[in-house]
Amino acid sequence: MFGFEAIIAHDGLGISVIGISIVFVSLILLSFAVSRIHKLIGLWDKRSKYYNRSKKPQQKDQKTPSVLVPTLPQDVQRVSRQFKLLIEWMGEPFPLPKLLDLSGKCGLSHPHSTINEFIKCELIIPAENGYYILNKQVEEKILLLEEKRSSA
Amino acid sequence: MSTDIQTLKSLDLFADLNFGELEQITPLMHLMKVTEGEVLTRKGEPARTFFIILSGNFMLSFKEERSFTLHNKGNIIGLSTVVTPFRYTGTAVALTDGLVLLMQGQEFLRLIQSNSVLGDKIMRKINKIVSERMPYMTGGWGKRRH
Repeated sequence: MFGFEAIIAHDGLGISVIGISIVFVSLILLSFAVSRIHKLIGLWDKRSKYYNRSKKPQQKDQKTPSVLVPTLPQDVQRVSRQFKLLIEWMGEPFPLPKLLDLSGKCGLSHPHSTINEFIKCELIIPAENGYYILNKQVEEKILLLEEKRSSA
Repeated sequence: MSTDIQTLKSLDLFADLNFGELEQITPLMHLMKVTEGEVLTRKGEPARTFFIILSGNFMLSFKEERSFTLHNKGNIIGLSTVVTPFRYTGTAVALTDGLVLLMQGQEFLRLIQSNSVLGDKIMRKINKIVSERMPYMTGGWGKRRH
């Protein structure tokens, strides 16, 4: 026996269908697992927060210490991440006109007033030589605020 | 739009001037609205206009892109109108909408030269501001780190 006759006689078609199904189901499961990795990484990053929450449930009713909230409009807080990327690309200390120029070229809306807000809330502070640096303390507070907002 | 004596009197630059001296300046000053991103002065161009901020926020940039920002009423832009070689040493950009008082440099210079007492009072204040801004203009801090 040769050819299709031999395949049919030994359940070749059924076996190949099962094989193909196994491969495709595995690929689907794998792609789903890959698509969920960012969630797992997020959980891993926040493990200390969950650990503390499970460890001290009795503290829930107590007042949380007040964090000094920078007076920064929410939309400005959102774009601060994009500006931070530009600053990282330029390096610190950076010239303010260059940040203005780059943010305009990158299509960020209202770069002038946004930079002004950053200066007013001291996210960007002048260095002594006429250039500017990022204020790490304010940056951390903004990150905390964003974290709070996303978890709420 | 012209301005009034009370507005001028509230500005640090003219705080020492008496009523008569303010009366001489008032007709020379004009109100101007500025919008975000508007360029008031450009580095290297002839200094023709002198600005005093009433409201708004501004950035002044100099050579090697050294800069500082102005946020207060009474801050001055365009000092080069009364300082040789009468060319702007920096570029001034409005970071937000605002209101400024402006005066033509030649008229301002003529006024200062024609009235020595008034000129002395104003130039003393201007010289102080120039000396504060000098490091930005000359890069007096030394070379940039990178």
